[in-house]
Amino acid sequence: MSEQDRRGNEHLDEMTCLLYVEGQLDHARAQEVSSHTEHCPGCRTLLHALERESRLLKRAMFEDEEPLPARLAVVPGRSARSLQWVWAVAFGLAATGVYALYTGYIEPWMQQLEQAGFGGTNLLGLLIFQGAFWKGWQSMLSLLEVLAMLTLGGFLIVLLRRRLRRGSALAMVLGGLCAAVMLPATASATETRRGDYVEVKQGETVKGDIFLFCHRARVDGTVDGDVFVFSQDVNVGGHVKGDVIGFSQSVRISGQVDGNIRTFANNMTITGNVAKNVLAFTQVVTVDSAGKIGGSLTIFTEILSLDGRLGRDLLIFSKDARISGRIAGGIRAKGDTLDITSTAEVDGPVHFEGNKPPDVSPQAKLKSPVEYQKMEHKPEYSRPRFYVWRVIFIAAIVLFGMVLFLLMPKFTEEAIVVAEGIGVSVGLGVLVLFAVPIAAIIACCTVVGLALGISGFLVWYASLHYSQLVVGALLGKWIIGPTREIWPLIGRMALGYFLLRVAFAVPYIGGWAKLGVIIWGLGAISLALYRRFQPAMPAPSSASAVGMQPA
Amino acid sequence: MSAPAKIEPVETIARARAGDADAWGQLYKEYAPAIFRFCRRALPTREDAEDATMEIFADLQRKLGQYDVTRSFTAWLYRVSANHCWDLLRRRKVRQGKETEDVETLPLEHPDPNQLDRLIEQRTSQEVRRALDKLGARARMALVLRYYSDMSYDEIADALGVRRAFVGVVLLRARHELRQVLGESSALAAGGTL
Repeated sequence: MSEQDRRGNEHLDEMTCLLYVEGQLDHARAQEVSSHTEHCPGCRTLLHALERESRLLKRAMFEDEEPLPARLAVVPGRSARSLQWVWAVAFGLAATGVYALYTGYIEPWMQQLEQAGFGGTNLLGLLIFQGAFWKGWQSMLSLLEVLAMLTLGGFLIVLLRRRLRRGSALAMVLGGLCAAVMLPATASATETRRGDYVEVKQGETVKGDIFLFCHRARVDGTVDGDVFVFSQDVNVGGHVKGDVIGFSQSVRISGQVDGNIRTFANNMTITGNVAKNVLAFTQVVTVDSAGKIGGSLTIFTEILSLDGRLGRDLLIFSKDARISGRIAGGIRAKGDTLDITSTAEVDGPVHFEGNKPPDVSPQAKLKSPVEYQKMEHKPEYSRPRFYVWRVIFIAAIVLFGMVLFLLMPKFTEEAIVVAEGIGVSVGLGVLVLFAVPIAAIIACCTVVGLALGISGFLVWYASLHYSQLVVGALLGKWIIGPTREIWPLIGRMALGYFLLRVAFAVPYIGGWAKLGVIIWGLGAISLALYRRFQPAMPAPSSASAVGMQPA
Repeated sequence: MSAPAKIEPVETIARARAGDADAWGQLYKEYAPAIFRFCRRALPTREDAEDATMEIFADLQRKLGQYDVTRSFTAWLYRVSANHCWDLLRRRKVRQGKETEDVETLPLEHPDPNQLDRLIEQRTSQEVRRALDKLGARARMALVLRYYSDMSYDEIADALGVRRAFVGVVLLRARHELRQVLGESSALAAGGTL
């Protein structure tokens, strides 16, 4: 374009020329442009150049240089339907798994425990919370009901996800959990005593529950409620009208306990009287000849020596058990050896599953001969049932992953991206794997942080599975290729997780592989979490955006 | 829609709408290559295009009942595809925080027609395709909608969420970007616009 042209300022602007070429001007304006270009070679050239540019663009767009990829050669309708079928099967298997787990294991176990004198219907309560830390738990629903509620809530959130901002969804979940935790509030008064040596003196009466944190503890007086003791050495010689819950190295019950005893200890000796049931996770348990338990005795121990009296059934998981006392109920024992001496009296049936036949004295007074079953050490993988359960388990975990991925798609993407940095993830994973449970236990010991500790432990436990799913998704991504959409990502996760499970099944190295994967995934999740809660970073293009970019 | 100018298989579409799997398969085979090419032009990578094509057809299967049989199936198909790809790009754009410029601020200039002519003459289709890959999302999408899908200005405005009056500006700006990318590799680069 010449300077003269420019100075004349009579040229059409490029926008007008483009609209003219594209046929977007109204008739009058188009006429003006047409007449102008008849006299203006510059604008005429521009019009021609724009037209040529349009043709070049069209040609470039339509010239085909890439064939249709192989994965697009399959009609998606069919694959979509088959995918739905796979998911339906996965759902079915998971539901069957939950049902089978409940009817096959949990329900009979609960019945067994009930027969053994526990009488509770709340599994959570039976396992951990029954009358122990918090009575409010007893009014909670059963474990299955809680699970059903959580699942329902999860699906509800998935359904409402598009209408809720992610923050509000999270707030809803946390709020719901808090509400569930807060509803059954604790009612009774509690007292706490700390020190190197603490005691409830003889003649003293404590109204309500008492917590004892000390090196050594003695309860010689009367406690109207429960006794919670965190101590190296504890001796209950007085009268406890509630339960005794002990986390100690050594527990000795020489007095009267009207409720139950639950202990996690190195050794426990009962020389006194326990009106209800005893549950112990203890290395050595001794029930002295003077000791008396009104209910049942359930123990997970190395050595049991029972010389006293038991009002109901005995359930043992031990290495060595010696029975010399009187048992008003039956015995179900599993372990290495069972020794029933001449002074023993058992009013119910005796069933023993062990490595060696039980040593039963002819003088022992038994209602019926001991049923002995040799413990089978047949490799698990030679049983078809092993594979059925594996499939059910994998389906259940994939289902769990699917719900998590749908609930937290962005976070999951970020975790998968972070997992690609193996070194950092593994380093952090080692720390988290060991530090979190330790921190949770410490939090539990402080009582104030009990709920926090238990929640932290549960989250940590769930993360052990989540970590495998994250690594599985990464593996799937490496195999099939990257994706940004959630359902293809879930598909990749399912494939990757399946392959991981196959790898875990390899003898000898499988276990180590699993540990490695857990550490790796746990580190990635932790790092993603850390980045998520870091104060606003100057956007070096967010982790997810970068990470999900194909190579 | 002139781009893939073909006679539309009305009967096959009707059967697919009625749930005939074979008809759906035929439709897919008929249109998948064009939609893949559309996605390949509109999205930055081949993997993106593959994913998007699959997702578009999954969507189509659900939305087929909404198709107005009195109108062009191809046009509808491209509209659905354009919306899908643009949604995808926009989501990513929000995450990456790019392309926040206002399309309405483009200075209108009169380029040197001879220089533009030379630039166009020297460039091959392949070079243009490579340059397209380097454009911003909106620019690339605008050019694809106009010159591949042959959409009207109204349709482009609808798809990109801009006022109809600014579709021309978007297209012109896209051309400028393209020329700049093309010009960067040669001595013809003359300050962005020619």
